[in-house]
Amino acid sequence: MPPRLPCSSPQPQLLLNSLEQASASAVAPSVALTPLRRRPSASSSPSASPSPASASWTTPRCFSTTPARPETKLRREFKEWLKKNEPVIRRPAGEVGSQAKPGGTYVTKFHYGSDGKSNPFPNNPYFVSQPVLSERARNWIWYQVMVRGQPLKAVSAQHGVDVRRVAAVVRMMEIEKRWEKENKPMATPYARALKQMLPMADLAPNEGPFEPINDIHVHSYTMQQLFVPTSESRQFTRADAAKAFGEHILPPDERMRIPELVDYERDIAKGVDPDAARDKFVKATAESEKALAAKLRAAEQKAEERRIRVQTDRFEFRIEKINSEEVGPKGRARNAVGWRYGVPHMDRRRGEHKIPTSVGM
Amino acid sequence: MVVKIRLARFGRTNKPFYNIVVAHARTARNSRPLEVLGTYDPIPKPDPYDPSGRLHKDIKLDITRAKYWIGVGAQPTDTVWRLLSYVGILPPKYPRAGSTPAATASTASQQQQQQQPPSSQA
Repeated sequence: MPPRLPCSSPQPQLLLNSLEQASASAVAPSVALTPLRRRPSASSSPSASPSPASASWTTPRCFSTTPARPETKLRREFKEWLKKNEPVIRRPAGEVGSQAKPGGTYVTKFHYGSDGKSNPFPNNPYFVSQPVLSERARNWIWYQVMVRGQPLKAVSAQHGVDVRRVAAVVRMMEIEKRWEKENKPMATPYARALKQMLPMADLAPNEGPFEPINDIHVHSYTMQQLFVPTSESRQFTRADAAKAFGEHILPPDERMRIPELVDYERDIAKGVDPDAARDKFVKATAESEKALAAKLRAAEQKAEERRIRVQTDRFEFRIEKINSEEVGPKGRARNAVGWRYGVPHMDRRRGEHKIPTSVGM
Repeated sequence: MVVKIRLARFGRTNKPFYNIVVAHARTARNSRPLEVLGTYDPIPKPDPYDPSGRLHKDIKLDITRAKYWIGVGAQPTDTVWRLLSYVGILPPKYPRAGSTPAATASTASQQQQQQQPPSSQA
């Protein structure tokens, strides 16, 4: 069982150091405990006879008897800064006055330049934001995929948006639409604030590609310098080069996300009509996505065949048939079913990354 | 020495996870067993993207080996008996009126079970 109290951790001490001495008002008992203040000259005017319950409570009641937490230095300085800059901050962003004085407003309107970068915090030149897809662009992507039935790869190639981002946009839009149907509250003020602060890409034709879509991850095996003797007459292709780096290394043509784009460009170079080449490209991407879907469906069906579903009145039990003898020569195979014996768990092993560095697809 | 089919608790605090094991009755709970028959995750989970919110529990089980161990007289604990009864290896020990679980996907193992009742315990 993991220890629950980090005894040697420096965190509590750091926290204490960052706290300031509590002010007198913070330590004093709260309003609920202070004696009622008497209204001055209540007896002098005979007509005024306020009920003590309503008149004597000039401040809102506070039910807490614990003293307020001491304020940190950072927070106090932030409040002072806010107070000092209040007139500047309250001025709406994009006003003429704030244009004249750069850096005046804390939250500025973005300046979406040709470089596609923006600086939402003028006081922090090191924060440079990449553009994000606007509401309109996301709606358009969703419309093309879900209503017009375009393949994801084709939409990705058309607008220069990574195919993973296209898929994510469609998923998120589906969730949003479902929430709208269910009348769930949306964080619109938050979205609006972000929209004002970040550069937006509308995927307009004059904007150019949103991001590179066909980049290939550089495998570390391919970073080495390699001398492979080969005959002069032999045609040494990229597939051969990949094989030379390692048996499992795929050539770039198979590693790129939209290999159909290569054929498309070849067609264009050959002088095929662009519309015809585009139709062919869309068809090819649709085919490849259909094949992928069929593959996933077959895998799911195969898994379902190994599964027995038992309905009880509370839960469904899904019993997967396994082979308990596939445990490797020492009985500790990594992919064997069950918790492993005689091996420390990942939590207790040293030198292992426990924080995931990437989100699986 | 009695051979039992029982659960061995792994996982963490408040996050149990069980190996379904065949082990001698007098060995420690988490000691190395004779055989790991499968796993049992007792924490009910919903399906992602399933709006009904119905919960399910995942079990992995080597049915052939479980039948073998029952056949040679291994004694399942009550919980394992319940899990094995779901796939028809054993009759339910405590059948509840009107709520007999029925295997929906595959009943082949149940039919086999009816032909070959478990042998008497050693």
